[in-house]
Amino acid sequence: MNLVVNGDAESGPGGSAEPVGSVTGWVVAQGAPALVGYDVGGGYPTAADPGPARRGSRFFSGGNSPRTALVQNIALPTAGPTGRAAVDAGQVRYTLTAWLGGYAAQEDGARLSVEFRDIAGTPVALSVLGPVGAAERGARTGLLKRTASAAVPPGSRTARLLLVFTRSGGGTSNDGYADAVTLSLTTTGGRK
Amino acid sequence: MTRLDRRTLLRAAAAAGALNVAWPLSAGLSPAQAREAAEALGADYDPAPFTLGVASGDPQPTSVLLWTRLAPEPLAAEQRLPEVVEVEWTVALDRSLRRVVAGGTAPASATLGHSVHVPVSGLRPGTRYWYAFKALGRTSRIGRTTTAPVGRVGRVRFAAANCQAFHDGFYAAHRGIAGEDVDFVVHLGDYIYEHGQVGGVPAEHVRDHEGPSVFTVADYRRRHALYKGDASLRAAHAAHPWFLTWDDHEVVNDYSGTGGGAPFMQRRAAAYQAWYENMPHRDSSAFALPDPEIHRVRRWGDLLELTVLDLRSYRSAQNIEGGSILGAEQKSWLRQGIDRAPDSWHVWANSIMLSQLRGRPGGSYMFTDQWDGFLSERKEVLGHVHSSGLEDLVVVTGDWHSAFVDDIRTDFDDPSSPLVGTEFTAHSVTSGAYSADWNEANGPLMGAANPHLKYFEGNRYGYDVYEVTPERFSAHMRVIGDRRDAASPVTTLTTFHVDRGRAGSYEDPATEDSPAQYRRDQGK
Repeated sequence: MNLVVNGDAESGPGGSAEPVGSVTGWVVAQGAPALVGYDVGGGYPTAADPGPARRGSRFFSGGNSPRTALVQNIALPTAGPTGRAAVDAGQVRYTLTAWLGGYAAQEDGARLSVEFRDIAGTPVALSVLGPVGAAERGARTGLLKRTASAAVPPGSRTARLLLVFTRSGGGTSNDGYADAVTLSLTTTGGRK
Repeated sequence: MTRLDRRTLLRAAAAAGALNVAWPLSAGLSPAQAREAAEALGADYDPAPFTLGVASGDPQPTSVLLWTRLAPEPLAAEQRLPEVVEVEWTVALDRSLRRVVAGGTAPASATLGHSVHVPVSGLRPGTRYWYAFKALGRTSRIGRTTTAPVGRVGRVRFAAANCQAFHDGFYAAHRGIAGEDVDFVVHLGDYIYEHGQVGGVPAEHVRDHEGPSVFTVADYRRRHALYKGDASLRAAHAAHPWFLTWDDHEVVNDYSGTGGGAPFMQRRAAAYQAWYENMPHRDSSAFALPDPEIHRVRRWGDLLELTVLDLRSYRSAQNIEGGSILGAEQKSWLRQGIDRAPDSWHVWANSIMLSQLRGRPGGSYMFTDQWDGFLSERKEVLGHVHSSGLEDLVVVTGDWHSAFVDDIRTDFDDPSSPLVGTEFTAHSVTSGAYSADWNEANGPLMGAANPHLKYFEGNRYGYDVYEVTPERFSAHMRVIGDRRDAASPVTTLTTFHVDRGRAGSYEDPATEDSPAQYRRDQGK
C-alpha cells in the first residue's frame, strides 16, 4: 500500500508550467513548485520521453525557484500487519520509489528522501534517491526510476518525505522533475 | 595475516618513493587489513563495535544529545552487522554508572551508518552526567557530559576548535581540550577534509588520508572514521558536550550550498548525511535529513547566549550583487535573535572570518569566500547589531589556520564607525598555516591594511579557551609545541580580555610580550 498522498502529482492545482501556491498532500516548504502536464511540451517531458509507464497526466517540477522543497509527513499505521507492534518487533520493511529527472544536458535535479522518526522526532532511518544527473539520463530529457529498501527500525512512528528540486546555472526554470513517488511497507512475517 | 609494523611500512614507503604503496585501501587491502595498516601508521580505535567512541552534544538545561556509531571495521564501506542493531544507553550521576537517572534503547540502522542519536530528557540543569552504550554484548567507553544551567551563572568556560587536517599532524590540541575544565566545546568546522592523499609521509606529513577524494556516503563515512582514528579526538568528544557548525571541507573546498548541479547535490547530500551520522548533532524537527539544520541559539543561564551559524548550507555565490552568506531565512532569524537578545554575553559560532581582511594597504580582500565576499549582507547585519543596541558581542571563528583578534566595526573602511564587538579567530588544530617567513612579512602588512586588526599569530597550532564571567570575557590562546607529537604539551600563548559593557579587547599585560607577527598596541 502506497502511503504517499498525491505522489503522482495528479491531484489539486496545476497542469501547466506555472507555479502553484499549494500542492495537495504536500507542504510547500520552500520555493514554488509546478505540477506540469505531460502535454505542455516546450521541452518539458512528454509521454514519449523516459518516465513511468503509467505516468498519468502530470509530474512535479521545481517551478521557477532556484530551490523548491516539498514536505509530506506520514503517520505510520498504528495497527495491522505493518502496524506498531510489527514495527517494534522488527518485522516491517519500507520501499521508497520515485522517478526523478531533468532537462537535456542541464544539471537541474530532483531528490527524494525519507526520514523515519521515533516518537520524539529523532531520525532513525534515512534513504535518499537522486538527484539524477544528466550523465545518468544520457543528456536526454526524462525521468528515471530510483528505489531504496530497508528495515523500518523499531520505535519508528512517522516518516517524513522531502522532495527537493534544485536549479543549476542561470535561467528561471527549475527543471528538476519527479513523478510516481511511493512509500510502501511490507511485513516480513516474523523474519528479522 | 602478518602484522604490519609502522617502521616497516614507512621504510617500504620511503623505498618506493610514495607512502601510497603502504597506506590503507590504496593497495587494495581488505577493510580489516586497511584498519591494521592504519593502526600501524598511527591511527587507533576503541574496541569494536564502538571503535569511533562516544560523544554528547547540544546541551540544554534538561536535555543533552548522546551519540555513538557502531563500526566494527571503521574503514569498511559496509559494516558486517545486522541491518538494525539495538543499542542500550545509560546515563548516571557518577562515573561508575551506579546512580542511573535515565536509560533506554535506540535502533542503529544501516541506513544511518549504524549511528544512534539519543536526545536524553528529564535531566537536571547545570549537572554533570556520565553515560555509556551497550550493543552486541559489548560496552562502550564511558563519556562525560554536562547540562546547561539556568538562572544566575557566575562563570562559563568553553573551548573552540577548528580545522583538523588529519595528514597535517596529530591531535595534541584535542588532547589538551579533553583535559580542560570547560563546560562545552564549540567546533567551528573543517572537521574532515575531502581531498585525496597528500603524500610526503613521513617527511612532510605525519600520516595521510586513506584514499582518494570522497564523493559517496560510503566514502565520507570512511573519511570520518579515519579522523576518529585519533585517540585525542575521541577523548575530547567523550570529555565534554559539543556544539557544532561546519565549514567547507566537510563537503568540498569553497563550496556554496546552493546553485550546484545534480552531481554536486549528490555529493553534498552524501557529505551531510555522513556528517550527521558521525556527529553528536541534535537535528531540528523542522526540516529533514539529508539537510540537517545546524543554526540555533542556546543559553548558558543568564550569562551567555550562543548563536551557532551555518555559513555553508544556504550561501549564494560570492562577490555577486545581493549575495548572501546566511541565506534569506537564516538572516531573518539572526536579525530577530538580535532584536530579542537578553542582557548577557552574545557569542556567535562563526565558521569563517567576519572581519574585513585586506592583504596589504590598498590591496584587495584576501579571501572572498569569507564574509568579505558578502559585503552588503555583512553591513546589514552589523548595522542591525548597532541599531538594535546589542552589546557584549564576541564572535569566535575558525578557518584561517592562524590566530587573529579584530575589532568589529559597522564599516570596516571607516575606523570611526561604531565598534560593536570583538572577533577571536582561533589557531587550527593541525591544518597547515602559512610559513613563518610569510607570517613575518605579511603580519605587519595586514595590520597596516586593516585598522580594526589588533593581533595576528600564524606560527602555531592549538585552540582557544574562553572564560566568561558577568564582568569579563577572556580568550586564552592555547598552543601546542609540535603537531608531529601526539602528546605535545599545551601552553597559553596569550590572553585577550573584553570588559562587559565596553566594546573592544585588550591583551593581558602578563603575555603582551609573547611572540606574534602583528600586534597593534605595540605598533609592530
